[in-house]
Amino acid sequence: MAGLFKKVYDWLLRTFWATEMDVTMIGLQNAGKTSLLRVLSGGEFAIDSIPTVGFNMKRVQRGHVTLKCWDLGGQPRFRPMWERYCRNVNAIVFIVDIADLNLLPVAREELHALMNSPTLEGIPLLVLGNKSDLPDKLSMDELIDAMELKNISHREVSCYGISAKEETNLEAVLQWLMKFANR
Amino acid sequence: MSYGKKDEDADTGLVKIDRTQVFQEARLFNTSPIQPRRCRILLTKIALLLYTGEKFPTTEATTLFFGISKLFQNKDASLRQMVHLVIKELASSAEDIIMVTSTIMKDTGGSTDSIYRPNAIRALCRIIDATTVQSIERVMKTAIVDKNPSVSSSALVSSYHLLPIARDVVRRWQSETQEAAASTKSSGGFSLGFSSSSGNLPVNNSTMAQYHAIGLLYQMRMHDRMALVKMVQQFGVAGAMKNPAAIVMLVRLAAQLAEEDHQLRKPMMQLLDGWLRHKSEMVNFEAAKSICDMRDVSDAEVSQAVHVLQLFLSSPRAVTKFTALRILHNFASFKPHVVNVCNPDIELLISNSNRSIATFAITTLLKTGNEASVDRLMKQISGFMSEITDEFKITIVEAIRTLCLKFPSKQAGMLQFLSGILRDEGGYEFKRAVVESMFDLIKFVPDSKEEALAHLCEFIEDCEFTKLAVRILHLLGVEGPKTSQPTKYIRYIYNRVVLENAIVRAAAVTALAKFGVGQKDPEVKRSVDVLLTRCLDDVDDEVRDRAALNLRLMHEEDELATRFVKNDDMFALSAFEQQLVMYVTSDDRSAFDTAFDISKIPVVTREQADAEDRTKKLTASTPSLKPPKLGPSKAAPSAAEAAASASAAAQQYAQELMQIPEIKPFGHVLKSSPLVELTEAETEYVVAVVKHIFKEHIVLQYEVKNTLPATVLENVSVLATPSDDEELEDAFVIPAEKLGTDVPGKIYVAFRKVNGEGSLPVSTFSNILKFTSKEIDPTTNEPEDVGYDDEYEVSDFDLSGSDYVIPIFASNFAHVWEQVGAQGDEAEETLQLSGMKSIPEATEQLAKALSLQPLEGTDVPVNQTTHTLKLLGKTVSGGRVVANVRMAFSSKTGVTTKITVRSEEEGVAALVVGSVA
Repeated sequence: MAGLFKKVYDWLLRTFWATEMDVTMIGLQNAGKTSLLRVLSGGEFAIDSIPTVGFNMKRVQRGHVTLKCWDLGGQPRFRPMWERYCRNVNAIVFIVDIADLNLLPVAREELHALMNSPTLEGIPLLVLGNKSDLPDKLSMDELIDAMELKNISHREVSCYGISAKEETNLEAVLQWLMKFANR
Repeated sequence: MSYGKKDEDADTGLVKIDRTQVFQEARLFNTSPIQPRRCRILLTKIALLLYTGEKFPTTEATTLFFGISKLFQNKDASLRQMVHLVIKELASSAEDIIMVTSTIMKDTGGSTDSIYRPNAIRALCRIIDATTVQSIERVMKTAIVDKNPSVSSSALVSSYHLLPIARDVVRRWQSETQEAAASTKSSGGFSLGFSSSSGNLPVNNSTMAQYHAIGLLYQMRMHDRMALVKMVQQFGVAGAMKNPAAIVMLVRLAAQLAEEDHQLRKPMMQLLDGWLRHKSEMVNFEAAKSICDMRDVSDAEVSQAVHVLQLFLSSPRAVTKFTALRILHNFASFKPHVVNVCNPDIELLISNSNRSIATFAITTLLKTGNEASVDRLMKQISGFMSEITDEFKITIVEAIRTLCLKFPSKQAGMLQFLSGILRDEGGYEFKRAVVESMFDLIKFVPDSKEEALAHLCEFIEDCEFTKLAVRILHLLGVEGPKTSQPTKYIRYIYNRVVLENAIVRAAAVTALAKFGVGQKDPEVKRSVDVLLTRCLDDVDDEVRDRAALNLRLMHEEDELATRFVKNDDMFALSAFEQQLVMYVTSDDRSAFDTAFDISKIPVVTREQADAEDRTKKLTASTPSLKPPKLGPSKAAPSAAEAAASASAAAQQYAQELMQIPEIKPFGHVLKSSPLVELTEAETEYVVAVVKHIFKEHIVLQYEVKNTLPATVLENVSVLATPSDDEELEDAFVIPAEKLGTDVPGKIYVAFRKVNGEGSLPVSTFSNILKFTSKEIDPTTNEPEDVGYDDEYEVSDFDLSGSDYVIPIFASNFAHVWEQVGAQGDEAEETLQLSGMKSIPEATEQLAKALSLQPLEGTDVPVNQTTHTLKLLGKTVSGGRVVANVRMAFSSKTGVTTKITVRSEEEGVAALVVGSVA
C-alpha cells in the first residue's frame, strides 16, 4: 500500500511540480561521456561505442526532475564548441579518464580555459574521475591536484571518482546534480 | 498532434517576414521548456527566407544553427522534421554544422517508423564531410533497402549527392542499390490501420525509388560499359520496372550505349522497339526520340517510331500532340522523306487553336514538303501569319530561310512571301529575321538578287528601324553597282538622304559613293556627283564629312580609291575577336605598352568569309546526321561549333609556330591540315601529325604522347623521310626534350621546297620515332641515370594536293567552271568507293578529303541514287580549283564517282585528284 502511495505521490510531483534541468557533459575523447550517459539513462554499458560526432542528447528521468543531458564530442575539432553548449546550463560535468595519465595536462588546460570564459560564470562544476575500475589509476586527491581544481573559484566545485562500467558511485552523481534543479 | 488546425500565424502574414526580425525571434529556441508549435512556425519562416533566396551571413547562420540544434531535446516529430529541413538548408552557410552529425544519425536509425526518417537522411548527407562518410555507411545501406519507398528514395538520392565527395565509399553500396531497383513491392499495405498517428510514416505507394536507384546505379557504373549493358538488359525486360521515369532513364542509357558501341546497336534497337509499345506515353516518346536521334538511322529502323508518333498526332491532349510533333519536326530536318507519311495528319494541325502546335506543323511541313507543296503551304501560312506572335513568326521565317538555301529554284515564291510579310506589322526582331533571310537570298541565290533588292528598296521607303535601314543601304551600296541598272537604286538611296535622320543619311551617302567611285558610265558618275554635292549642305557633320571625302575619292582616278571604297577583303573576324580579347584581358602590364597590331590579323576575301558563313547557317538550322548525344557533359560538338573550333585551332597553331624562333622567318602559315592520327589510340606511344604549309617551307608538327607508366622519354625526335626527296630538302628538326607519362609533347620537322615558292610537292612520309627511354625509380620518383635508345615506327602519311587547297565560296558555279576551264588544265578520275554506304556519306567525305567548298546547295543530296557535287577552292598561292563530282550509288558496289577537277595553275588539278585516289 505504501508503495502505491509513493507511486501516486511521484506521479503528482511529476505532473505538477515537474522540473527540467540542463546538464552539459564534456571531457577529452574516450573519457567515457557517452557510456556514462547511457548507463545513467538506464541502458547497458557497451564497451565498443563509436566516437561522438558533434553531440548526443538524452533525457534522464529522476523523480520529478528531468535531466536534459548534452553529451558533447571530445575530439579537438569539437572543443571550441563546448562553450556554446555550456551557456545557461544548470551544471557542467567534466569527465576525466583517470587511467590515462598522459592526457591529464591536456584535460587541465581545456578545463581551465573553459572555466575562464565570462559567459559561464557561477555555473557549478562537477569533475568526475571515470574508469576507477581499472588498475594504475589516480586517487581523488591526486586528481584534484593534477587538475588544479583548488584554483577554480566563484563556483561550486566537486570531484567524485566513478566507474561507468561497474556503475559505482553513480547515485552520488545524480544526487549532486539534483541539488541544482530548482535554481 | 493535439494542436488545433486553426491557422494562428495568419496575422504574421508572409509579406512581413524580414531576415533581421526572424533572427531576433530566434532567441525562442533557447527558452525552456521548448514550445514545439511556436518553434515550428519560426522554423517555417526561416525556411521561407532561405527558399526565397535570402542568405544569412555566416555568423548569423551559425548562431541560428546552434539555436536550432537545441531543439533536438524535444521529441515532437513534426518539429524534428522541420529542424532537419532547416539544417539541410543552413548546411552551406553555417559553420560547425558537423556538430549535429551524431544526433541526426540517431534519427535515421532503422527501428522506428518515424515520419522524419527520410528528412534525417537527406539532412545527414548534406552535413557530412568526406572523412566521416565511412561512419554512416551502415545507416545508408539499411536505408537504401528499406521497405518504405520514402526512406529508400531519400537514401538513394542522398547517395547520389555523396558520390562526388566520397565515390569509393558510395560505390560499395552497389548490391543494395541493385536490390532497391529490383524491388517492385509496394510498401506499407499492412500498416494501413496504424498510420493514423502522426508520428508514423504515411503510406507511400510510389515507385519513384526505382528511378532513383537506376540513376544511382548508372552513376556508379558509368565507366564500365559491360555492367551498363547488363543493367539495361536486366531491368529492360517487360515488368521488371514499374516506374515510367525509371524506364525513360533506361531508354536514354540504351540509346547512348547503341551510339557508343556499334556492336550493341542491334540488341539495344530491339529494346527500344519494344519500349515503343510500352503502356506509358512518356516511355513511348523517349524511345521514339532516341530512335530518331540515332546516328545514321536507316529508314526501316525508324518507320515504327514514326508510326507511333503519327498515332499520337491525333491524340485529344494538346501536350501529347505537341511532343510528337516536335520530335517529328526535328527528325524532318535530316530525313524528310520518312516523315512524309505523317503529312496528312500534320496538315490537320495547321489550323489547331494552339499556336505552338500550328507553328511546328507548318515548319515540319515546310521541311517534308516537296517542291510542289511548298507553294501551297506558303499560301496557307500567309493567311495565318497575322494571328501568331512575333516569336512564332521568326521560327517560320528561319525555316523558310533554310528552305531558300536548300531549294534555290523555289526562290521566287519565297521571295514573294518574304516581301509580303515584310509589309506586315511586326517588331524589330521579326523584321530583322525577314531582312536577314533576304540578305542570304541575295548572297547565295544569285537569280533572286535583282528582285530581292527591289523589295528591300521598297521596304526602306517606309522603315521605322534605323538599324535595318542602315544595313540595307550598305547592302545596296555593295550589290547595286554590279546590277544591270544601277540608276534604279540611286533614286531610292537619295530619297533616304532627303527624308531620314542623320544616321541613315550618313549611310545613304556612303552607299551613293559606291556607285560613283570607279564608275565607267559618265552619266551615272555625273548624277552621283550632283547628289553628293548637295549633301555637302547637310546639317549633320558626319553626313557632310562623308560626302566631302567621297566626292574627293570619286575624282581621284587611281586604284587606291576603288580599293578603299569597294574593299572585298575583310579581316578573319573570329581571329580578330580572339586577338582583341587576348589583348584586352592580358594580365601583363607591358602588353599595353604597344598598341594593338592589326596587321597581325589574317585577311580573308569576301568569298572565303561567305563560304564559312553559309556552312554555319545551313548546319545551325538543320542538325547534321550525327545529332548531339544525350547528357550535357558528353555533347558532341555540332558541325557549326566544329567549324568554329577548327578555325580557332588554326589560329592557335599559327600562334604557337610564331613563337618558335626557327620557324618565325618562314612567314605566315598558309594552311594547317587537320590532325592525322598515325597510331591507334591504345598504343604505347600515341602519335599524330599536323601539316603546316608555308611559302617556301613545309613544317610537320608531330604530337607525341607517352602512355607507358613510370617511364620518361628524353630527346625525342622523328626521322621523317619523304618518298622522293628531289622536291623536299631537310631543313631542321626541333626535338622534344622530355616526355613524362601522359604528357603530350610536340616535335617539329621542317622541309624546304627545292623548287621554290610556287611548287606544290607531293610525297609520302615514312616516320620513325627516336628517343632515349628511362625508367622512373619508384622509390625516389626520379628517372634513372642511364636509359637506352629506342626506335618506334609509326604509319606513313601523305602530303597531297588537298593540303594546298582552301575552300572558298562563289554564287555561280557554272560561270567559274567555264572561266577556269578556259585557261587552266583539267584532270579526271573514276573511283569506286566501296566503303561508302550512302550518297550523303560520300558527299561529306569527299568534300572533306578534297578540302573544297560545296556550292549551290549540292552538299545536301536530294536523290539517294545519283548526285552531282560542285566544289570550289583555291590553292595557297591563289589559283582557283573547281571540281565537279558525279556519283551513283548501288547497294552492290557502293558509291561510284567520277571526279573532274579544273585548276588555274598548271598541274594542280592532277594533284588534287590524286589526293583522293
